[in-house]
Amino acid sequence: MSTFTPPRFYNSRKRTNFMAMAACYGATLFGLTWLVLILMTLVVNGLPGISLALFTEMTPPPNAQGGGLANAIVGSLMLTVMGVGIGAPIGLLAGTYMAEYGRHSQLTSVIRFINDILLSAPSIIIGLFVYGAVVVPMGKFSGYAGALALAVIVIPVVVRTTEDMLLLVPNPLREAASALGLPRSLVIRRVAYRAARAGLMTGLLLAIARVSGETAPLLFTVLNNQFWNVDMATSVANLPVTINNFINNPDPNWKQLAWAGALLITFTVLSLNIIARVVGSARNEK
Amino acid sequence: MTTTHQDPSTSASVSGQARPETISVKNLRFYYGDTLALKTISLPLYTNEVTAFIGPSGCGKSTLLRVLNRMYDLYPGQRAEGEVIFEGRNILNKNEDLNLLRSRIGMVFQKPTPFPMTIYDNIAFGIRLYENLSKAELDERIESALMKAALWNEVKDKLNANGLSLSGGQQQRLCIARSVAIGPEVILFDEPCSALDPISTAKIEELIDELKSDYTIAIVTHNMQQAARVSEYTAFMYLGELVEFGQTAQMFTSPQDQRTQDYITGRFG
Amino acid sequence: MSSQHSVKVVSPEQSAKARMAILRRLKFSDVIFENLAKAAAYTVLLLLGGIIISLIIGAWPAIEAYGLNFLTTTRWAPSLKPQPILGALGPIYGTLVSSLIAMIIAVPVGLGIAIFLTELCPHWLRRPISIAVELLAGIPSIIYGMWGFFVLGPYLAVHVEPQLIAFFADVPVLNAVFSGPASNLSLFNASLVLAIMILPFITSIARDVFTTVPPVLKEAAYGAGCTTWEVVWNIVIPYTRVGVIGGVMLALGRALGETMAVTFVIGNAFKIQSSIFAPSTTISAAIASEFAESGGLHQSALILLGLLLFVLTFIVLAAARLMLKQLETKQGK
Repeated sequence: MSTFTPPRFYNSRKRTNFMAMAACYGATLFGLTWLVLILMTLVVNGLPGISLALFTEMTPPPNAQGGGLANAIVGSLMLTVMGVGIGAPIGLLAGTYMAEYGRHSQLTSVIRFINDILLSAPSIIIGLFVYGAVVVPMGKFSGYAGALALAVIVIPVVVRTTEDMLLLVPNPLREAASALGLPRSLVIRRVAYRAARAGLMTGLLLAIARVSGETAPLLFTVLNNQFWNVDMATSVANLPVTINNFINNPDPNWKQLAWAGALLITFTVLSLNIIARVVGSARNEK
Repeated sequence: MTTTHQDPSTSASVSGQARPETISVKNLRFYYGDTLALKTISLPLYTNEVTAFIGPSGCGKSTLLRVLNRMYDLYPGQRAEGEVIFEGRNILNKNEDLNLLRSRIGMVFQKPTPFPMTIYDNIAFGIRLYENLSKAELDERIESALMKAALWNEVKDKLNANGLSLSGGQQQRLCIARSVAIGPEVILFDEPCSALDPISTAKIEELIDELKSDYTIAIVTHNMQQAARVSEYTAFMYLGELVEFGQTAQMFTSPQDQRTQDYITGRFG
Repeated sequence: MSSQHSVKVVSPEQSAKARMAILRRLKFSDVIFENLAKAAAYTVLLLLGGIIISLIIGAWPAIEAYGLNFLTTTRWAPSLKPQPILGALGPIYGTLVSSLIAMIIAVPVGLGIAIFLTELCPHWLRRPISIAVELLAGIPSIIYGMWGFFVLGPYLAVHVEPQLIAFFADVPVLNAVFSGPASNLSLFNASLVLAIMILPFITSIARDVFTTVPPVLKEAAYGAGCTTWEVVWNIVIPYTRVGVIGGVMLALGRALGETMAVTFVIGNAFKIQSSIFAPSTTISAAIASEFAESGGLHQSALILLGLLLFVLTFIVLAAARLMLKQLETKQGK
C-alpha cells in the first residue's frame, strides 16, 4: 500500500518529454555551432591578412604582391556615414510623427504596415530601385546612389525603433512638460527624445550595423573602384563589393585581402550589435 | 441632480467679505467623445486659497482639474463647453495660447515626473524657455524655487545629480519647484500624494499650506482627511456632477447633501 | 520663508508680454517641426510607391516583349539574336524550392531553440545564448556566402551528399530528388545556408511570442502534472500559434529575397532539375550576378524578375504582419 504507483502512460509520457527536450538542446547546439564555425573560418582565413598595410595601402592590381584595402575602407565609411546621415533623420522624424503627432491616426497604421514591409524587403530590390531612380537618370554609377540605397535601408530600421521607443516614454512625462507651457515640438525634442535616448541610440547603432555589411544594393549603384577616390559623384571603392570581387578571383593575394576584409566587416558589425544591446539594456536597468 | 451647493456667495457673506476669484468656472460641460463627463459645473477658485476636489473614482474631479490648464487638448476627441474665466478671458476659447496659459497655471501630477536630466536642469529647463538670464540670476532663481519647494537643503550639494536619483517624495517636491520656478498664478495638484509614503505626504501637505500665500491652489485628492487638512474650500463631485461646494470645515461637519454625507462618512467611494 | 524668497522681478503683465513674444517664435519652429515630421512620414509611403513605380517602368519593355510567357518559360538565353529568349520559371522554381527546404530545416530548429530559451535554459545562460543566436542574424550575408562557398560546400560534397545519394538510391521518387553527382554548388547548399541565416529570425520571434503566454496558464498545466513538453505542445504553441506562424512567414520573406549568400553557393544555372544537389538559381541571385553586365531587354527582364520577387515577398510579409498583429490584439496591446 505504501508504494505510489505512477499513473498509466506515465513512463511513455516521460520518455516523450525526454526526447523532445533533448531535441531542443540539440537544436540550440546546432544553431550555436554555425556561429562558432563561421567565426572560426573568418579568423583562420582572415587573421593572416590583418596588418597595418591593410589600412594604409590601396587595393592592388591583380597578380601583384601586398597592397591593402585603405580606399575600400574609406569608401565604405563615406557611404555608411552619408547613408545613415540621410536615412536616420528622416527615420527619426517619421517615427516621431507616428508616436507623437499621429499616434491614433489611420495614416500612422498605414505607415507602420508599409514600414514593416520595407524593413524586411529584399535589399537587392532597393538596389534595383535606386538604379532606376538615380543611376539611370544620372547616367552613371556613383557614391551618392549607393549612399541613397543605404539610406533607404536605414529609414525603416530607425522608424521602427523610434516609434517603439517613443511609445515607451510615459505619457505623464509629456503632460508634465506641456504643463510647464512647452510647445509640442519642445516637449518632444527636449523631453521625449531625452527619455528615449538609450533606445534611439540602439536603433541608430543597429541601423549602422545593418548597412555596414550590405553588398547587394551596392553592386549596381556605386559599383566599385580600384583606386583612391573620395568623389561621391563617381564610383567609389567599398569593402563589400571589393570583397565580392576579390574572393571570386583566383589571385591568392586578392583572396587573402578579401578574407581580411570579411573579418574586418564582421568584427565591426558584431561589435556594433553588441554595443547596441549594451546601450539598450542600460536603459532597462534604470 | 436637484440638491446643490451650499451657496458660495452665502458662505462668503457669512465671513463678511467678497472673495476675489482667480478662476471662475461657469456652466462647464466636458465630453470624452460622445460621453458627457462633466455635467454643467460652476465653481470659483478663490485667490490664495486651497480648493480641494473630492469624490469617488470616475466622478470627474481629475477631468475638471485638467480642463483648468487645457491639458485635455493633448488628446483627440476631448472637448469642453462653457466658460473658465482666468485673468479676464475665457480660456476655453479656441485661440487661447495654451503654452502661455500653462506657464501661468502650473500642474503637479499623481506620479512624480522629473525629467531625465539633472536636478538643476529640471528647474532651469522651464525658466530658460521664457527668460534669458545670466548664470548668477539663474542660480538664484533655482535656489529660490527649491527653497519654496522645501527641497533646497536636501539637494543643494547635488544639483548635478539626475532628478531620477531622488526619492519619490523629493521627486514630487522637485516637480513642485519646477512649476514654481516659472512663476505661475495657480498650481493644480492632481492627487500629488497618492504615490508617496505618509512622511513624504505630510511634507507635501505642509508645503501646499505654505505655497498658498503666493499661489491659488486646486488639489484633487481621494483622501478626505487630506482635503480636510489642506483646503479652505471643498468641491464634492459625484458621477460628473458638482454635488456640493463650500468651506471645507462646514462641509465636513454639516454637509448639505445626503450623498456628500454618505461619502464623507465612508458609506461609498 | 516664502515671502523672503518670492522672486517676481517682473510684473505679471510685463512678463506675460515677454513670454508671448518668445512663444510666437517657438510656435513658428513648432509648426516647422511638425510639418517636417509629417513630410518624413509621407516619405516612407513614397518610398514604397517609388519602388513599385520604378520597378514597373524598368520592367515594362520585358512585360511587353514576353507577357505571361515570361512566367512559363524555362529557357534563359540573354545573348540570343535577334531577340533574347528569357523566362522566369527557373529562378522562380529555385527561389521557392530553396526557401521551402530552408524552412523545413530552420522552423523546427528555430522553435526548438526558442523552447530551450524560454523553458529549459538556466536563467544566467539565457541572455548569452539569445545574444549569440541574434549575432547570427548580424553577420553580413556576403560572409555566409563566402563561408558556404569555401567551407560548407566542399564539406557537404564529400561527407554528406554522397551518403544521402546512396541512402535514397533505391527509394522511388526520392532517388530522383537526391541524385548525383554531388557538387559544391547546389540548390541544397543554398537551402542550408539560407536555413542558418533565417534561424535567428524564427528563434527571436518565437521566443518573444512564447513569453506572452500568461504564466498562470502554464502554472495551471504544470499543476495538473504535465511534463514540460506537454505544456509546450498543449498550452504554449496553441496559445501563440498565430504569432509563431507570423514569425515563420517573416523568416520566409527573408529567405525569398536573400541575395549574396545564395549567389555564392547556388551555381547560377537557369534550369529546373529534379535533384536538389544540382546547381540552380534564384531571382535575387540571377539579378546580383547578371545585372551589372546586362543591357536592353536582358536588363529589363532582370528588373521584371525583381518586380516578381517584390510582389512575392510583399504578399508573404503582409500576411506575416497581419498575423503578428492579430496576436497583439488578442493580448489586448
